[in-house]
Amino acid sequence: MRRRFPWFAYLVVILGGVAMVMPFLDMVMSSFKGAGEYGVLPYKLLPESFSLDNYRAAFEQLELVRLFRNSVIVTISVTVSVLVTSSMAGYALAKLRFRGRAVIFRFILATMMLPPFLLLIPTFLIMLNWPLAGGNDLLGRGGDGGLTTSLLALILPFTVSGFGIFLMRQFMVSLPDEMLEAARIDGANQWQIWRLIVLPQTKPVAITLGLITFIGMWNEYIWTLLISSSDPDLQTLPVGIQLLQSFLDPDRTMPIVMAGLVISTLPVLAVFLVFQKYYVRGVVLSGLK
Amino acid sequence: MTTAESTLRAEAPRATASARQGFHREGRAAYLFLAPSLLFFCIFLILPFLFAVVLAFSDWGGFDLGTIEWAGLKNFSDVLRFDGTFVKPILVNTLLFAFGSVALATIGSVLVAYCIDRLSFQGFWRVLYFLPVVATVVAIGNVWKMMYQPAGLINGILNKLGANSIGFLSDANYALPAVTVVHAWASIGGAVLILTAGLKSIPEMYYEAAEVDGANTWRMFWQITLPLLRPSLLFVLITQFIGGLQSFALIIVMTTDGGPVNATNVAAFEMYQQAFKFGAWGTASAMAMVLFVVILVITLLQLYVARRRGEETS
Repeated sequence: MRRRFPWFAYLVVILGGVAMVMPFLDMVMSSFKGAGEYGVLPYKLLPESFSLDNYRAAFEQLELVRLFRNSVIVTISVTVSVLVTSSMAGYALAKLRFRGRAVIFRFILATMMLPPFLLLIPTFLIMLNWPLAGGNDLLGRGGDGGLTTSLLALILPFTVSGFGIFLMRQFMVSLPDEMLEAARIDGANQWQIWRLIVLPQTKPVAITLGLITFIGMWNEYIWTLLISSSDPDLQTLPVGIQLLQSFLDPDRTMPIVMAGLVISTLPVLAVFLVFQKYYVRGVVLSGLK
Repeated sequence: MTTAESTLRAEAPRATASARQGFHREGRAAYLFLAPSLLFFCIFLILPFLFAVVLAFSDWGGFDLGTIEWAGLKNFSDVLRFDGTFVKPILVNTLLFAFGSVALATIGSVLVAYCIDRLSFQGFWRVLYFLPVVATVVAIGNVWKMMYQPAGLINGILNKLGANSIGFLSDANYALPAVTVVHAWASIGGAVLILTAGLKSIPEMYYEAAEVDGANTWRMFWQITLPLLRPSLLFVLITQFIGGLQSFALIIVMTTDGGPVNATNVAAFEMYQQAFKFGAWGTASAMAMVLFVVILVITLLQLYVARRRGEETS
């Protein structure tokens, strides 16, 4: 029954699919356009000859290597940290009995409801007045920039995720108690149980959470833009590429920006395509529970 | 969430007398496992939230905490003045942007998810629609900015069809709809993912029974698919509204300053500019609070309407 009128379904899905892919195709094609080919009428999708000049220019003008390094450091640190803290907290909330568990679990759920923009200003001011950082004294005064001059400023506000704890907790609840009990009788302490029994079994949900965090951090824009506005050494790929575009003549630089964007999108696209099954499941899991 | 709470309650009585000794040790271990997360939430959630509330009621320009002064409701009265710019056009823009992109993305994603559900290679189609979610906002914003140029893809198509070029991002009449469409385009993929999962959970036999009764596809869509899709649809609507009301990264990338002349300026962006361009922490925080309340009210309203509707149909 569901397969009735598939011609109509094909029409809708293919037309929509074209609308989804066209911008990316235009991005890739523009990145190969040579001098004087971009921004001229009439519009042509395909470049006359596939020129690599924009890619060369992107490497020269953008310091892509430095941007890439910052992006990798920030993304990997946050992903590892979120995975470790979420699986620890998730384990406590799922499998350990203690006073205050229900309250803490409800608090974790509530943290997901605070929109990030609300915390933007105070978090920035907290970083600026961070005690004993960037020349600040113990009360966070007197220094020059506090933590905002360090890559830590890009990492710290993302090191724990309420969503991650929730996801881990939901998954770990379904692990059999008998196995943990057996390990306990054999003399394992809680740390060993978490590390040796629980962690190996959370692999699927860990991949899901890792992927969601990785993609989110690789693409993070607003906070990084804010922190790196006073210290360009902290720029990541999205911020560095965007700033190139706003400073120079747009018709000349847009193709170079496109080349930079193709380079910066490829790693995350590759990671997504390899693990997309897990990503899809994560979105569905978080959506329907 | 209800299942989570019921398991909590069901497990609690397990702490019987024999287990009470272990309970104590487990408690210590549990708080050690939770310590990093709880410490984080104290520094990066509770503290900034309280700070945000204080800032909204104070008058403070610089960076020296000693000069902070209590201002009462002054920031709010400044922000909510009707002859100012925050209520109109900025808050109005925010609502138009959110409503517009949610409407486009919801209608689009229901249609696409419904159609994908009838095709083979469903995984392929879902990934295709999901591509924009993987791309950075800088890529999305710049590509569309490029396509909206006078010599870009969209005006190229318009010219081929014999229409005149439109200055999508330079004309104040078109700029807001232009960025709204991009936001909708970028959020369809996530919605399609959730809705296809929702469609899968509708039992085939309902459709079979309806077919025996002689219902056509159109009627089945309205009377079976849509009502049974309501939980996923509600989730999509609420999360998309929350996202749309607070998102401004796309607008920074595409318009730099919310122009032409505030035509694309939205509340969260105005807050960002007031704070980090002008250092007006108090005004900016009051704007953040107003937007937070707007988001809260719209979310509760949707839940309320959904619950009312649920009672009527069941």
